[in-house]
Amino acid sequence: MSFMLNGVEIEDTFAEGFSMWGSRIVITAVNRRWANIAASTMTGFATSVIACDCEASIEREVPPDETPDGRPGTAVMVFGFSRGRLTTPMLNRIGQCVLTCPTTAIFNGLPEEEADAMLDVGKSIRFFGDGYQVKMRMDDGWVGRRRFWRIPVMEGEFLVEEKFGAKRAVAGGNFLVMGETEAATLEASERAIEAIHTVPLVITPFPGGLCRSGSKVGSTYPFLRASTNTPFCPAIKETFPDSQVPEGINSVIEVVLNGLDEKSVKAAMAAGIRAATEVEGVKWITAVNFGGKLGKYNLGLKDALGVS
Amino acid sequence: MKELTLTPTTMPKIPVEAEVICPDVVAGRTLEEIRGLKVYVGNSVHGLGEFFEVEGEVADKAAEQMIVIDGSVPTVKYIGAKMSAGSILVRGCAGMHTGAQMSGGELSVEENTRNWAGAEMRGGLLRIGGDSRNQTGAAYRGSSEGMMGGCILVEGDAGFETGSFMRRGMIVVKGDVGPFAGVHMNGGEIFVFGRAARRLGAEAKGNGGFIACLGEVESLLPTYVYDTTYVPTMMKLYMRQLKEGLGVLKAESFLDAPFRRYRGDVAVGGNAEILIAEKL
Repeated sequence: MSFMLNGVEIEDTFAEGFSMWGSRIVITAVNRRWANIAASTMTGFATSVIACDCEASIEREVPPDETPDGRPGTAVMVFGFSRGRLTTPMLNRIGQCVLTCPTTAIFNGLPEEEADAMLDVGKSIRFFGDGYQVKMRMDDGWVGRRRFWRIPVMEGEFLVEEKFGAKRAVAGGNFLVMGETEAATLEASERAIEAIHTVPLVITPFPGGLCRSGSKVGSTYPFLRASTNTPFCPAIKETFPDSQVPEGINSVIEVVLNGLDEKSVKAAMAAGIRAATEVEGVKWITAVNFGGKLGKYNLGLKDALGVS
Repeated sequence: MKELTLTPTTMPKIPVEAEVICPDVVAGRTLEEIRGLKVYVGNSVHGLGEFFEVEGEVADKAAEQMIVIDGSVPTVKYIGAKMSAGSILVRGCAGMHTGAQMSGGELSVEENTRNWAGAEMRGGLLRIGGDSRNQTGAAYRGSSEGMMGGCILVEGDAGFETGSFMRRGMIVVKGDVGPFAGVHMNGGEIFVFGRAARRLGAEAKGNGGFIACLGEVESLLPTYVYDTTYVPTMMKLYMRQLKEGLGVLKAESFLDAPFRRYRGDVAVGGNAEILIAEKL
């Protein structure tokens, strides 16, 4: 079953999202360049928990008037399978990639009232101060209560918020863009990513937001738990017995997204799909699922797009 | 917010102790009951209605109660003491212990207050439109815990021992402060935009506490050690809060200011900071 959108066939299927813990932080620095450098470094090698310690990416650039210290900021989101498996990579990545980056400071980007838990990340990082760290208390008994740590570093002082909000989030939102040519598929996917990043609280952790080598669970090799998504590889569509690549499709790119809630992920999927359908040469869009056996979120394309 | 107006009539020569002028006390009472609330003048007990005309509306909960004192009452003590919610506006001066030990709500005095304003405050916001005399936000004698939270904003000058034994919270003085500001301080923040007099931070222990001097400093104790001159990121947070949250427009000019950082008071093994803004 399928339906048409802007002349592109959309399969009536769903992306199978699964539950992860997500957190959002805001990194600020003296200028946009250093904020982005810290954020990019921190989110390196964090595409998929298949082989990375977490999934992470830049959510958006935050203008100075929206950051706590009035400097340019970059919002980063990190996802892990449990609170512990989120805290550890955050601690390591902030410690190695943000603390080390000149002029940076780091703030919680998920307020306590919206979070399911508060992670003691800054509280642990403070020990780097070797006893010279200073606790900074703001707004006691007045407009709220915020806690920071000021850690002396060779360049000056690193400011880190004591706790970071985390909540049960949705990972594995996805859709496949299928086109007649590699160029058309790439252009459509790029437009999809641009559109997705207009939706808050969503990240696309793969390179540039795109995954050209979508994977399936398992392989013919006993030592490999994930392998190339053979049903969607155009290069073997005539060789592979159960190929799902439609006629005339020569390139497929997967757009993968994680979000802090189901609503945001669906909104981002819809924005991405609509943008992708505007490119000539795109013929078919579908999504990857495992028959509803693995994840608890069935992110239907029809539902996301609001098509009845 | 329901507004209850207290208009001062005849005041005795000796102070009136009126801790009943507090949203927590008046909420849920009738006007007649409020007129009969006990106030102390020396060793005699009087009704509040003997010194104030009481009119207006009374809320069921303190958080929805606003009390307006429509006139200057410099001899009325303990206005808003121990208040936890609601608001009080004094259209004039207020007496000693205004807002002492308050834990929430907002208390605004349009003109001056006398000694011990906001003493041992726990929370809430105390705005003083004029000068505040001595021991603003201080600990009472014998106590080792001064201000534990909340914010005091003094538009004018503050006297001596401002924020003594302070543990948490914030005191902002747009004018000058007298000697011994932050004495025995063990946390909290004091911002002085005017001139800071001698003995600043004497015997302060630290615990994250600092005094930020954004104007002139009369002298520093020799037991404060100069560390460095730098632009602390944390100061940007405070300066934004002062400007946007409290309307201290001067704060904006210190957003990127370098500060000289002194640590002490080493006489007591302290780790408190005095941050002095460099002239830009």
